[in-house]
Amino acid sequence: MAGQLGERTVSHAYQAVGWNRQKRVYDLTLLAGVVGYLALFVGVGAMLSPRATVETLIIRAFGTAALLLLHVVLSIGPLARLDRRFLPLLYNRRHLGVALFVLGLVHGGFSILQFHALGVVNPLLSVLTSNGSWSELAGLPFQPLGLAALAILFLMAATSHDFWLANLTPPVWKGLHMLVYVAYGLLVLHVGLGVLQAETHALLAGLLALGFAWIVAIHLIAGRRERAADRELQGAVAEDGFVEACRVGDIAEKRARIVCLSGERIAIFRYDGKISAVSNVCQHQNGPLGEGRIIDGCITCPWHGFQYDPADGASPPPFTESVPTFRVRLDGDRVLVHPHPQRPGTRVDPAALQEES
Amino acid sequence: MAGGDEFYIGYQRQAPAGLSRFQRWTVAALLLAAAVVAVALAALQSDFDPGVFEFGVVRDFAGVVHERPHPLLLVDRPGHNLPEPSRFLLVAAGKHGADGEVAGLDGRRVRLRGTLIHRQGQTMVEVVAGSVEPTGDATARPAAGAVDLGVQTLRGEIVDSKCYLGVMKPGRGKPHRACATLCIRGGIPPVLRVETGSGEYRHFLLTDEAGGVINHRLLDLIAVPVEIAGRVLRTGDLLVLEIDPTTIRRLDAAAGSS
Repeated sequence: MAGQLGERTVSHAYQAVGWNRQKRVYDLTLLAGVVGYLALFVGVGAMLSPRATVETLIIRAFGTAALLLLHVVLSIGPLARLDRRFLPLLYNRRHLGVALFVLGLVHGGFSILQFHALGVVNPLLSVLTSNGSWSELAGLPFQPLGLAALAILFLMAATSHDFWLANLTPPVWKGLHMLVYVAYGLLVLHVGLGVLQAETHALLAGLLALGFAWIVAIHLIAGRRERAADRELQGAVAEDGFVEACRVGDIAEKRARIVCLSGERIAIFRYDGKISAVSNVCQHQNGPLGEGRIIDGCITCPWHGFQYDPADGASPPPFTESVPTFRVRLDGDRVLVHPHPQRPGTRVDPAALQEES
Repeated sequence: MAGGDEFYIGYQRQAPAGLSRFQRWTVAALLLAAAVVAVALAALQSDFDPGVFEFGVVRDFAGVVHERPHPLLLVDRPGHNLPEPSRFLLVAAGKHGADGEVAGLDGRRVRLRGTLIHRQGQTMVEVVAGSVEPTGDATARPAAGAVDLGVQTLRGEIVDSKCYLGVMKPGRGKPHRACATLCIRGGIPPVLRVETGSGEYRHFLLTDEAGGVINHRLLDLIAVPVEIAGRVLRTGDLLVLEIDPTTIRRLDAAAGSS
């Protein structure tokens, strides 16, 4: 049945967690990676510095693990834009986000207990008010920056389920989750104005700078590719307003070609001797439908597998998502698309390809 | 876009072979990179300070209490017939001084229980709350007077003695400033840490020029490089720096604006 692969749901079903083999492997690998990192940091730290205190090693192990994981989280999106083989990492990226928050919570909680509790000032008040020297850069307080980042990570972890995506609406949810970049900036400052003021080995600052440069670079490169793809199609415009988009042979079977018309990305799919065009933007998380493929007769988003009927842009029942459709016709082997979008879910007759001899 | 024609969604049972191989290599590379980062970061930490906090170990102590400027326990050196006892700074649990624990016992011989904190010849005891008991004698043996070592100008960092002597590592520097400020606000004796060269340090207990407590006048000057001029007194194994807090000079970038 369209809308499902085997018995796997592919749209909003509001299960707590739809466990499957990939998620189990993903989470076990994540757990092994995190535990291994923490054990290595604490073990090597204790071995090389027998005078080290365990609480300092724990605070640093969890803090650095969180920051490293944040780099991984922020890298997956652009890498998947540059090479689709990274897409399976994106499928469960929110699990990384929840793990990241837990690591940050342990780091922050332990730090508050260590540095701010058991004194004459409320610990949270101390986090927000102590260590303040606004008159010079190096003296700027770093603890409130970490706390603000932790609050953002909490909001993201708490709303990571599709239940919240649907109820907050995708634009609000997406906007909320874009705050991860604010959190990253806050954490870079938190580290730079905090521990790096005392741990002055040049390699430590160098690693932080390298991580920052990596994140900026892959986003710029991916963004540049996106901009190139967004170049407005300059095809011939017919009298009826249809625009020449591509040739039939440009589209692989059960795949799509993405074009930009009137500022909107349109995915033109070829399947079962037919051509249909829909908006390129998945209703789930704005995934690029045109980079997906037709599975069981449905357009399948490459990010999380949400599915849509190519003729009407609607998810198969009982699901309710739908995307705008576009009228399409053929002139010989030329594919023409009308740039005016139809309301989401509007059925548009596919253009039928002539039988190949 | 790169990546070949294979297509896989996480809810499918099996990924295509090429994609599966790519994922395995990617995850292996990520785990290896994480291991390298963990080892590198752990190894690049600067050396930890040498202090010791015998957390969880409670011992019995006996000696003569001095209340001012900060609580001290004068302990006879066992096995020696030396005129000068050891001086153990006393603090309470958490970020609190021990003034309340020894109030009214100045000059009295007492027994108490507590946990040792020590670093490079300086010793402190975290007193178990309510464990201080006078043992009778009004004064056991008067301590020798302080030796005046003259006015000196010293450069260093003001830290709270409890964390610095071993409770926290590092117990100094900007990451620890908030904690040190809370400790000094709470009555922990403030000390000036002065580098004497070749990695050695001396520690000076800070008081005002009359030997009084100045904790609350130091709060904006903690964990930053400072220059302080004052009279140095040595009482036994304890160095005291008597200063006018208004003359402390910051040596960092904020010096001009403070």
